[in-house]
Amino acid sequence: MSAASAVSTAVQVLGGIVLAPLLPGLVQHWKARLQGRRGPTPLQPYRELRRLWGKSMVDPEGSGPIYRLAPVVVAAALVGAVLVVPVAQSAPTLGLGHDALLLLGLLALARFAVASASWDVSNGFSLMGASRDLTLSVFVEATFILSLAVAALTSGTTDLRGVVAGTAGIGVWKSPALALGAVSFAFVVIAETGRQPVDNPDTHLELTMIHEGPLLEYAGRDLAYLQWAAAARHWLVLVLAAEVFLPHPHGVWLQLAVLPVALVPLCAALAIVETILAKMRILLVPRLLAVGAAAALLGIAAWIAGAA
Amino acid sequence: MTGALLVAGLGAIALGGVLCVLRRGFSTGLAVQTVGAAGVAVAGFWTLGSSASLGDGFSSSFAPRLGVDGLSGLFLGILGLIAVPALAFSVRYLRPGPNGRAVGALTALFVLALALVLCGRDPLTFLVGWESMTLIPAVVILVSRGADRRARRTVFNYLALTHLGGAGTWVAILLLAHAGAIGGQTTIASGSGLQIAIALSALAGMGTKAGVMPLHVWLPRAHPIAPAPVSALMSGVMIKVALYGLVRVLLDWDGVLPVWFGVLVLAAGAFSALGGVVYALFEHDLKRLLAMHSIENIGIIVLGIGASIVLRARGADMWAAFALAAALLHCVNHAVFKALLFLGAGAFERAVGSLEIDRLGGLLRRMPWSGGAFLVGAAAIAGLPPLNGFASEWLTLQALLHIPRYGHVGDGVAGALALAALAATAALAVFCFVKVVGLVLLGAPRTPAVAAAEEQPLPMRAALVFLALACVALGVAPGVLFGPLVGLAPWPSAHATQLGLYLPGTGSLPTVGIALVLVAVTIALALLRGNRRAAPAPNWASGQLVEPALNWTSSGFTKPLRLVLELVLRPQREISSRTVGGVLQQVAYSGNVPHLIEDRLYRPAERMAFRAAVHARRLQTGSVGTYVVYLIALVLVLLVAVRLGVIG
Repeated sequence: MSAASAVSTAVQVLGGIVLAPLLPGLVQHWKARLQGRRGPTPLQPYRELRRLWGKSMVDPEGSGPIYRLAPVVVAAALVGAVLVVPVAQSAPTLGLGHDALLLLGLLALARFAVASASWDVSNGFSLMGASRDLTLSVFVEATFILSLAVAALTSGTTDLRGVVAGTAGIGVWKSPALALGAVSFAFVVIAETGRQPVDNPDTHLELTMIHEGPLLEYAGRDLAYLQWAAAARHWLVLVLAAEVFLPHPHGVWLQLAVLPVALVPLCAALAIVETILAKMRILLVPRLLAVGAAAALLGIAAWIAGAA
Repeated sequence: MTGALLVAGLGAIALGGVLCVLRRGFSTGLAVQTVGAAGVAVAGFWTLGSSASLGDGFSSSFAPRLGVDGLSGLFLGILGLIAVPALAFSVRYLRPGPNGRAVGALTALFVLALALVLCGRDPLTFLVGWESMTLIPAVVILVSRGADRRARRTVFNYLALTHLGGAGTWVAILLLAHAGAIGGQTTIASGSGLQIAIALSALAGMGTKAGVMPLHVWLPRAHPIAPAPVSALMSGVMIKVALYGLVRVLLDWDGVLPVWFGVLVLAAGAFSALGGVVYALFEHDLKRLLAMHSIENIGIIVLGIGASIVLRARGADMWAAFALAAALLHCVNHAVFKALLFLGAGAFERAVGSLEIDRLGGLLRRMPWSGGAFLVGAAAIAGLPPLNGFASEWLTLQALLHIPRYGHVGDGVAGALALAALAATAALAVFCFVKVVGLVLLGAPRTPAVAAAEEQPLPMRAALVFLALACVALGVAPGVLFGPLVGLAPWPSAHATQLGLYLPGTGSLPTVGIALVLVAVTIALALLRGNRRAAPAPNWASGQLVEPALNWTSSGFTKPLRLVLELVLRPQREISSRTVGGVLQQVAYSGNVPHLIEDRLYRPAERMAFRAAVHARRLQTGSVGTYVVYLIALVLVLLVAVRLGVIG
């Protein structure tokens, strides 16, 4: 293993596991500033995790083994996903490989686990959140795979390392396919991170929760795992956005150097979107995502027309 | 050697069937059948692995010929693999009364008919097997349901539809035999009218039998009312055998089909996949829900076949072979998890007495073995790593992704749409099986009968656990089957046999590594978490008391999707309230999601057929004089036609 791939692996694993909570922290911090509040520090998610880690877990009455297993399975699926998404064009396979479509499978596993847990506690609010999450996932997944398909066609492989290498340069400014893919992926980023206008991460009203709903009954370390998983989802999609759909240089060292430069403005962009847009009606979200899917389809058509 | 094992296996099944009829021999008969089925499975997979043909080759002549090649071997393997647990399950599931014995004997006949389709090497044997595999399940349903009027009507529908649609099979096979294309004596010219006629009639005829939308309406009615082991064989094997015919015709005998036909097959696949899973979501009966899911999975397999046709027409032979292998691997996988789920439903039905999905709950605690196996099957059909459903869905997605790479704009965009449809289907399947797992296995029991449910006897549990282990094994090592399956393509193709799936132009799927990492990380995180738990607390319901009336139902859980798809699905909803003296006394709610294809297509067609029959009956006066007039009129018309030179 060369030094470059060793360092990129270290950034990938440690960054995905340790730095992930910083990303939602940054978004919340800047959102507060934009709204004229002082707000929490960007390190607030770490404080929350530390607090939760010290507390005991609570089983609601009537819950069973699936409820207890779910947080662990969700966290394991997200650890797997972190191992799948590389931060540069060179990295060892880490046992899972780096296939883009495997990422979708792992996210589906996490969704299945958390929604089953809602049935196990049979809490109405949890189930409401789970059913909304699953409804939106149908449209998110279709858009997600189409935007990944644009990147895969451009680079000739679904291996994410190859995709990072194949889209390097300023392709996104020059090729209409990749530009349309980037537009479509922006919708995926907002939906997967559970942010406005799709979901409201700050809500405390049970009736409006989507991603927070199924977490309602959890406490202690269970909740810590689930909150880390939500942060890891930010890491995954923002790294993909930075290393695939935004302009990035060739070569591992430069890609590693550019990653923080890209992640910080992406978090700022999320904060700005959250500040200027209100949450939409949930039944309108599929239309929003359909726009993203249509953009990706156009991108694919543009790629075929360009390649022929 | 392999041939002898196959013949011995089939002989044992026949012997077991005869034993079942005898009063004393019921259990022995089923056991002998199970052993025979195991022999068939081994012989089938062995033929696939060794890629050697046994017996006769294909021929367009009508002399009876029997033989086995790799593709037949694969499907014989599936047949055996599903028949073993289904028969073992029957030992305790069927009661050794006259009905049970008849069903046991008919199961043997059903398995033999399926084997006949797979081993037939001439058009006649193939068609004889094809018709018997349609007729025997009808007999089974009639025998097991006795004088049930609804069952009789369903069987009538099933036979009418599969025969009307199935006529396409006859047309396709007879046209092929006439052209001498079965067995490759002649090749059919690409793009010729004959080729298209064969392909279209095969798609309609065999598609009806496989349950491809919109020709599927018989399937969700017929599969659920059969006894559970026969449902497992129907959903697991019979509809796959129909696809075996489709693969033979479309990819081998009919030559290289044009791109547009491949796109048509893709459209049929995407429509079946999405339609099947969407209507499954709104089903309330567990077995009907599973039957709708068979339509979804048939759609996924047909997507693979369509991708193979398009890629072959575009000259991408390697990926065409991968697409076909993906479809065939999904055949195996779907057979395994669908048999598991149907048998599991049979176990629940036997324990509880009802499969109304809103009236179960908490069965994982009451029946840990059956429930646990059912949970594995649900996760597998939902396409979750590291189980088998994910491996073949991943392959199909990759094949679809390669259509834009090799195609032009039209078929490329069609491939991309199919890709999005399959991704949405996978997400909907997760949705649907979360609902099933939640309502059937988790939470609190919803009726006293469910609270008293008992675990089933050993042979039934063993059958379920065996299939669950098969789901895991096929998920961890799909490459073992995938390698030989790539070699089955009628054009030159080969792929190394490995444990995982390593394909050029993809990130590859090291399935063993994925399973190990997921399990290891899960265990590590569980240990890290420890088990410091406070006393159980009641559920949070905004301060309200949690009572059974607040339980979520299937309709409630799927409501957001129903609202989002309102324009397409046109759900019906009715709320009636009764007020006495200005005080609300009672509110009743009823709603359902109508099956649009049935309501808009089949009902009008049925009505028109009956109306036409009424008119036709006027001709049947019953008086001899009228008939003589008809005959004279016919002779006159013929004479005039001959004189004018139209005929003769």
